Amino acid sequence: MNYPVWELTTYGGGFLIALVAIVHVLVSHFAVGGGLYLITLEKKAYKDEDAGLLEYVKKHSKFFLLVTMVFGGLTGVGIWWTIALLNPAATSSLIHTFVFGWAAEWVFFVGEIVALFIYFYTFGKMDRKNHIIIGWIYFICAWMSLFLINGIISYMLTPGAWIENHNFWSGFFNPTFWPSLVFRTGISLTLCGVFGFVTAAFLKNEELRQKIMRTCAAWSGIPFILMLIGGWWYFKAIPEPAITIILEKSPAIADYLLLLTWAMPILFIASALMAIRLPHSFQRVFSFVIVGIALIYFGAFEFIREAGRHPYIIYDYMYANQVYVKDVPEVQKAGFLSTAKWTEHKQVTDENLVAAGRDLFKFQCSACHSVDGLLNDIKPLVAKYDNVFGMDSKLNGLGKLNRYMPHFMGTREERWALANYIVSDLNQINDLNMGNPVVAAKKLPVIIPPFNKETDEYVLLAWNNLGMHCISDSDPFWILLPPANDIYAQLVKRGDSPEIITEGVEISYQVQDGFEYPENQVRFWEFADKLLGANLAPGVGIDGLKVSGVMKLEEDLRAFTAPFVPVVPYPADGSFNPYPIFTITAKDKETGKVLMTTKTVVPTSTEMGCKNCHGGGWRVDGVAGFTDETSLDVLAAHDKNSGTNLVERAKNGEPMLCQSCHADPILGTKGNPELLNFPAAIHGWHANFLTDREGMQACVACHPSRPDGPTQCFRSHHSEFMDCTNCHGTMEDHSLSLLKKEQEAGKKGAARLMENLQARTVDSVADINPRTPWVNEPDCLNCHVDFGMGETTDAFNTWTEGAEGLYRNRHDQMEAMMCEACHGSTHAVYPATINKLGANRDSIQPLQYQGNNRPIGNDCTVCHTVQPEFEGHHPNSLRLQISQ
Amino acid sequence: MNPAALIPTPDTISVPWGWFYVLLMLTFLLHIMVMNAMLGGGIIALFSALRGDQQNTLLSKEIGYKWPYTIAFTVNMGVAPLLFVQVLYGQFIYSSSILMAVWWFSIFGLLILAYYGAYIYDFKFEALGNPRIFLLEFSVFILLFIGFLFCNNMTLMLQPEKWQAYFSHGGGTLLNLSDASLYPRYLHFVVGSVAVAGLFFALVGHFRFTKSSVNREFLINQGMTYFTYATAVQIFIGFWFLLVLPKNVMMVFMGGSSLATISLLLGILLGFTALYVGYKKQVILASTITLITLIVMIFMRDLIRIAYLKPYFQLSDLVVVPEYSPLIFFLVVFAIGLALIGYMLKLAFGCRKEVSK
Repeated sequence: MNYPVWELTTYGGGFLIALVAIVHVLVSHFAVGGGLYLITLEKKAYKDEDAGLLEYVKKHSKFFLLVTMVFGGLTGVGIWWTIALLNPAATSSLIHTFVFGWAAEWVFFVGEIVALFIYFYTFGKMDRKNHIIIGWIYFICAWMSLFLINGIISYMLTPGAWIENHNFWSGFFNPTFWPSLVFRTGISLTLCGVFGFVTAAFLKNEELRQKIMRTCAAWSGIPFILMLIGGWWYFKAIPEPAITIILEKSPAIADYLLLLTWAMPILFIASALMAIRLPHSFQRVFSFVIVGIALIYFGAFEFIREAGRHPYIIYDYMYANQVYVKDVPEVQKAGFLSTAKWTEHKQVTDENLVAAGRDLFKFQCSACHSVDGLLNDIKPLVAKYDNVFGMDSKLNGLGKLNRYMPHFMGTREERWALANYIVSDLNQINDLNMGNPVVAAKKLPVIIPPFNKETDEYVLLAWNNLGMHCISDSDPFWILLPPANDIYAQLVKRGDSPEIITEGVEISYQVQDGFEYPENQVRFWEFADKLLGANLAPGVGIDGLKVSGVMKLEEDLRAFTAPFVPVVPYPADGSFNPYPIFTITAKDKETGKVLMTTKTVVPTSTEMGCKNCHGGGWRVDGVAGFTDETSLDVLAAHDKNSGTNLVERAKNGEPMLCQSCHADPILGTKGNPELLNFPAAIHGWHANFLTDREGMQACVACHPSRPDGPTQCFRSHHSEFMDCTNCHGTMEDHSLSLLKKEQEAGKKGAARLMENLQARTVDSVADINPRTPWVNEPDCLNCHVDFGMGETTDAFNTWTEGAEGLYRNRHDQMEAMMCEACHGSTHAVYPATINKLGANRDSIQPLQYQGNNRPIGNDCTVCHTVQPEFEGHHPNSLRLQISQ
Repeated sequence: MNPAALIPTPDTISVPWGWFYVLLMLTFLLHIMVMNAMLGGGIIALFSALRGDQQNTLLSKEIGYKWPYTIAFTVNMGVAPLLFVQVLYGQFIYSSSILMAVWWFSIFGLLILAYYGAYIYDFKFEALGNPRIFLLEFSVFILLFIGFLFCNNMTLMLQPEKWQAYFSHGGGTLLNLSDASLYPRYLHFVVGSVAVAGLFFALVGHFRFTKSSVNREFLINQGMTYFTYATAVQIFIGFWFLLVLPKNVMMVFMGGSSLATISLLLGILLGFTALYVGYKKQVILASTITLITLIVMIFMRDLIRIAYLKPYFQLSDLVVVPEYSPLIFFLVVFAIGLALIGYMLKLAFGCRKEVSK
């Protein structure tokens, strides 16, 4: 932002610093401990009057000089060079804060060099006592340089009180200073032994060689005590959230943690092995192998320390992409590019969309993500985003639930530009429809069943209780709702005082042609036992019913139901049809005479938009259905974020029902009582990725309600002037209402999901009324006060008291007709003439019985042979009358 | 685009800028002195090796003994001024470094190669035989190249007007080749290093610090000859350097600022004096004059920097958020360090006397 960014693609993501730093630390820590090693052996050589040993020490000090002075010293300078090139803002901050610490370290460097030169060049010429003193001075200077750099490095991870008081000493003697010092001192001593193996391995004198091998083995092994104590202390001293990120959350660190855990004992054992009298040629080769193991061990530690600091470069102070924590609010408001100095694209326009996106990637992301490189390559991470909307949504949610990422910093336009760059440039995809083709409305023919007002004695009303039953045909991997529509019917005997008939009749239902064998279209029945714990024969629903059969009587509802009818939106011709039509027939039980026939749409859709973010595309007809890719990615994301092993289970042929762990009232599952219920979990999680959206943009991302789509499930007349959010609230509000209830119930997971959600329809989160999903829902009467015309279009935040209060479960004030019998299913209440497959598809019964689209009872003579004067069903029911 | 808009905001400093300035000048002087011995020494060694006669070969061997020390201390003495220049001018030098990132990044790796080359040249001088000259060329060429890169960075950091090139070349491959003052500046350092190195080796001879069997008189003579000829060339290069500076910068030294003008006059005077004294082969006097000349030159170099940056920045712009205890800590450590080093050198020279007895 403040500084230009070196455009690195393959070698980006921190690769250069990782390379330079890891080779440096190996040699530099050796440089520290090696001093002690040399003087210890020198003293022993004097004590034992061992000329051979003394000669070895002299040779080793030459090796020491050549390795540490040249390679060690210059790679140290190299680190400095590299950090200034990769992160000048942090380098500047560190230098301006700790300049005198570094200046003091420099003094000790001078001392080290002078001491080492003198030590080597006067070996054998200087008086023994003085020579040892020179060695000691070397070691003290070297250890002090470690002491000083340790303060600065540990500060970056745990700045401690410095954040408040900006005091040099608070920053220097920070929470991980001492544990890190102990750990690094341990490493320094171990490395003497490790490098000692190399020089010893080239000794010709076998006795001497073995003696030194044993000494080196001791030098390698004993300091493990310091490393273990220091290491354990180090882990204890790292605060949250860093320690959880390191131990559990970061996918990048997990492998290195494993490497570290293995490399430590392997190094110990390998070093101990060298104490055994092994063949000379083996010792020569194996000594280098041990150096390699040490490199891996030490490299893994440094890598973990660095990666554990993400998303910061200086914890709680500066992000890894050089933005100061304190500047983020300004950046979010004014824009990242407009506050950056080194960009030519201060504002995002239509013309510079991708170029601005490229700059945003460079400045915000490339600090940690290489492109086609070794470290944190961005390409595999974004490969599944085949559309800008999905990528933009991912950026929307960045860092809100995974603490090792920062939030996206910038305006909506900038976020969109970045998403465009990633999808079009990195993924080379240029689909303007974003994988969701525009589906034109069709006009599938519907034959309205006949009704003769003069002669017919019965009126049969039938409906699906939900306006849409979504199913996920992701069965081999997981399922969130099985094929299970609930069909209802009420039979009315017409008359002066119409009667509801529940006895002596049989109501049957039959799916339209082409939909008879759902088991051939979806794989649900292959996995039903694993998914639901129920052994279902192919084509049989959860309650034992097939797509055609006989309805059961529900006495207290005064209606007939066919629960969990397993219809799927896939007719035999391979197309997608979310509105299969069922024929409902009422027959006299005794005589078998048909009393009345009607038809109703039984809506079901697999146009669930998971693929918009989880990749994979649509499976059926390019408009609906789950590909394996989408299904797997959903599980992979869940595994990564929640530490589950769902991918493995699916691959072993054991897919799960989401609601088996996450309770859900609609399926009646209790799940794991510590986890959020399913709607709270799924909406709460995804809300973080879909904030601040206009209208129903967020809903449409997942639900089959895209107006250009093949389902368009919200299709009543309400949809002409309202959208989902009028009743259900925005995504944030919707989720907060569910999460608040869970939080009040003591569920720990709610807080994290709520943290970054703002209420939008109401003033604050405190104003949102908590609710249980599927049970506390917005009610028609929120707007239609006293059953009149709607007085407002804001139905959010007032819920039904319980399931009995739901529109779809209620009856009129006489406890006779169910509301839906006359008014139609939720989301498709009459008039509903916007069905994607034909204007009259949702209006079959009004057309059949009344010749219009209005609710049944327009006019009352559909059932009442004598026009009633008073409003029996509900107030205002005589308001709108259209005469025949 | 207004160049000033690209200049990053500097961080605050913990003590008034004068402290850092003095430390910068002091440590940079040390760095330049040793760097001259390193670079110039390598060049002189190369010339001597090319001449090939016995004494010249011994001269190149003598230099070979000292060469690794000079590299070690050049790097070490470079750390401090780089630290202080980043405190005072970080917003400029980080930016220019990134613009030439690929080149800048290559430096330490190349230096490792040159350094090992110098050690091999030193330790295996006899074993290599005549082909040792290729090794010498290798290391000297790398050092010359590194110096050139440094000059590029030090000039690019002063010219934010040039920084817009980043927008078309963001991969770190830029240099400052279009700057006319780059070349005389670079040559002034290179030729100057030959002069100082010649003087350095004359001193080595004068104080009998030789390790090889090179003739002492020959060493002093050759050293002073290199010193004199190089100083003569330096005077021409110096004028060239002055004349290609941007008008506003040059005018500072030609009356614009009394301090700068006096420094320039002093520098020219010292240059001619050094020439004369070198011709007379007066080693100690020449060393004193040269030390003063170096101080004046370093100061002038910084006046040039201040003049270039005047439209954008002056050191008094830096905000001070006082915290003196770290400075005191450093000064105490520095004092201890000096004492330790003094003690070690005493031991070292003491044992040398023992050996030679």
